Amino acid sequence: MTSAFRLRDLGPLILVLLFVFISSAPLLWIFLGAFKTTAQIISIPPVWVPDFTYLNNFRDVLGQFWPFIVNSMIATVGATALALLLAVPAAFGLVNFSFRGRAAIADWILSTRMMPPIAAAVPLFVIFRGAGLLDTLPALIIAYAGFNLPFAIWMSMSFIRRVPQELIEAARLEGCTWLRVLWEIVLPLSKSGLAAVATFVFIFAWNEFMLALFLTTREAKTFPVVISSFIGTGRVYWEYITAASVIQCLPPVLFTFFMQKHIVSGITMGAVKD
Amino acid sequence: MASLVSGTTSDMTPRPSRRAFYTGDRFQAAAFIVPSCIFLALLTIWPFFYSVYLSLHRVRLTALKRAVFVGFENYWNLVTDTLFQHALLNTLMLATASIACEIIIGFVVAKAFVSIAHLRWSNWLRSFFLMPMMVTPLIVGMIFAYVFNPVLGIANYLLNSVGLAPVSWFGDPFPAMLSILLINVWQWTPFMMLLIMAGLFSIRSDLYEAARVDGAKWHHILRFLEIPSIRGIVLLGIILRIIDTLRFFDVVYVTTRGGPGDSTMVLTLYAYQQNFQFFQAGTGSAAAVIILVISIVITTFAVRLLRRIEND
Repeated sequence: MTSAFRLRDLGPLILVLLFVFISSAPLLWIFLGAFKTTAQIISIPPVWVPDFTYLNNFRDVLGQFWPFIVNSMIATVGATALALLLAVPAAFGLVNFSFRGRAAIADWILSTRMMPPIAAAVPLFVIFRGAGLLDTLPALIIAYAGFNLPFAIWMSMSFIRRVPQELIEAARLEGCTWLRVLWEIVLPLSKSGLAAVATFVFIFAWNEFMLALFLTTREAKTFPVVISSFIGTGRVYWEYITAASVIQCLPPVLFTFFMQKHIVSGITMGAVKD
Repeated sequence: MASLVSGTTSDMTPRPSRRAFYTGDRFQAAAFIVPSCIFLALLTIWPFFYSVYLSLHRVRLTALKRAVFVGFENYWNLVTDTLFQHALLNTLMLATASIACEIIIGFVVAKAFVSIAHLRWSNWLRSFFLMPMMVTPLIVGMIFAYVFNPVLGIANYLLNSVGLAPVSWFGDPFPAMLSILLINVWQWTPFMMLLIMAGLFSIRSDLYEAARVDGAKWHHILRFLEIPSIRGIVLLGIILRIIDTLRFFDVVYVTTRGGPGDSTMVLTLYAYQQNFQFFQAGTGSAAAVIILVISIVITTFAVRLLRRIEND
């Protein structure tokens, strides 16, 4: 698909470069800040390019706050696993079986994607407090998996639907149980799509802030909650903020570069195919 | 609509037009689907009724057992509370203004990306452009708190170096709202751009050729070819963005906390503060129910639309 540069590409290219600059400049600025000393971060006129060998900010953030990065990791991976574990069979069932109310159930699942988390906030808080799960990682895993489940089911459906039906039929004639059809035919054939679903859920959970803010207080705080406390009424810890931002943004930024072709299908919940 | 993102058509797989469903095996079907349904019901249906219940009571989050039934008092208090009115108004304004900007800028950028799609580096450039929409929203707030800081921020330094007066980005009501709007547009224009680009890629190139042969001007092409082709997907984008704006929280939480005054207060922040800072579970739940009702109305359209795109 690639072909040589033509003169009439110049206008669009300049426009694209301008917008790429606008998109990346603020991110680049915080990235540069992560390698500056506290004095350099707050100096005006600014220090444009720091000495990249100054890694104290990263050392301090990782040294003091690593348990919260671990919390974020556990909550995110746990939620991704739980969401996929529930979503894949559900998507498989919705794609392959016919029963009354099938479309209605699919629509209802989709509509729960639109549920604003704040509307479930107090009830969730109450259940988790009742179950003694406040400020624990299981609470976050359950909440994150739940809020990502509709998305995961719908996007999985769009991938599972592409598995050729003849294969499923053949397997059924051979006497495979449905569970084996799922495990031995559907999963292997849709694994790259399902991997995309998993990555999306991972990023959504990794980026989540509000639920973690009220569901955790000390032990189970996630990294974003800790980062939000660097800015407050007292001193603002810019040296932590810059380095922590880089660490926090690493997964989503890598994702943007390696999974670009799945993003459209992800943001439309599989309605637009990639 | 297939293979829209990569912009190629070679790896298109034909979609099975109609899938035969398996009847019978009803028990097995249930076994696959029911766990998810229970999970979602616990997370959506039950909280909904519980929120409605709380919203009709005078109750504190710290003493839920002592709830006093007050009917619609909380709703009345909300409607007459200027802070809530501002939250509602700001959210609507933010949704309208930012989505409008995102569509217009997104369209221009999408056209530019489509015209250079044949260049080898265009995919890389696109990834760079898309970064803001994937980055943690809280960090977006942090970044702009740094960039727009009145003392050490680079924004005012740059304005100053070209001879312009410094702006009180988050300090005064009107600039603060504009800053929040700007941050939203910065973060979400890539989202709209991506959807519009997907729509533009779905237009067959021979249609452009035909239009050109017939002597169509660019605005004819825009009106009769491009807008009809991207309408569905843009509508979907608008709905998803409205839903997002109703949840908008992280950025205001770390930049303005709804201030100065109540100039950047938004619905979710209002409900959050009522519930978890003032422990007014009644008022907070009433606000949450209102947000939910708005979401449900919009969702009803969204579900229909997604189904239609699905079946296209």
